[in-house]
Amino acid sequence: MNQSQDDATEALLRTQFDGPVLDEGFSRQVMQRLPQRRRRVTWPLWGGVLAGAGACWAALLFSPLLRVGWMDWASGHWSAAAITLSLAMLGMAMLAFAWGVTEADDR
Amino acid sequence: MTDSASEARIDRALVTRVLLRDDRKAFEQLLRRHQGMVRAQLRRLLHGDAAGADDLAQETFLLAWRKLDQFRGDARFSTWLYRIAYSCFLQAHRKNRQIADDAQDEAEQLPAPSHAMDLQLDLERAMRRLSTAEQTVLLHCVQMGLSHEEAAYVLAMPLGTVKTHATRGKAKLKAWLAVWHEAARVEETP
Repeated sequence: MNQSQDDATEALLRTQFDGPVLDEGFSRQVMQRLPQRRRRVTWPLWGGVLAGAGACWAALLFSPLLRVGWMDWASGHWSAAAITLSLAMLGMAMLAFAWGVTEADDR
Repeated sequence: MTDSASEARIDRALVTRVLLRDDRKAFEQLLRRHQGMVRAQLRRLLHGDAAGADDLAQETFLLAWRKLDQFRGDARFSTWLYRIAYSCFLQAHRKNRQIADDAQDEAEQLPAPSHAMDLQLDLERAMRRLSTAEQTVLLHCVQMGLSHEEAAYVLAMPLGTVKTHATRGKAKLKAWLAVWHEAARVEETP
């Protein structure tokens, strides 16, 4: 087996391939069968985001956790509320990071 | 910029037009640009069954239309289409019959040549004696001119497996067609 035999076999294979098929009405037929594109519905996503944000806001509005945690964190006092707040922020940052990495991988 | 790079750029622009403006004309252009090779690919996979290949090609383009938003542009659009076409072929093939790998590994030399048409016939016969995987890899890598990486993407095979099938397939063909090569060399010798 040498390079010229290799090339000869490949050349033979290429000549055996007929190449692109002529259209002869194929595209027209496919276009006639093409359905309407379904538009992606986005309102459930945005509805969910708004409902979630609203529920968070309502839950935290009457809870001292956020205010106390923020004040403790600002004064450098690591109370349970400050730690909870920090962990929640860290968790959200990690989720956003993971989402960003996944989106970048898909592109 | 190479031809294939500019072709890929045109394809991506057409895909964007379809996705953003629901532009059927742009999809028709994509269809006209690629139908020839997709149908040729399917005809080879179906061993020349033109009607069956056209049915599968139609299914391929309808699927491409529905799933166009899943085209991320990391492969060429044509390669993405070949992948859809190949999976349509596999599905249809599985429905009809079990894939029978009737290849015989023992190298057997074909009868001596008499004229050029015999060579084509022998090559056709030799191709059919290869395993289905070897035939498919040689079709995509040698006949359709895809790179090993692109063939691996289309056939959903590991890159190493594609390279192995390509090497083995070519080696078998060379062995089986050795008589032809020998005859050609004798003719060239004064």
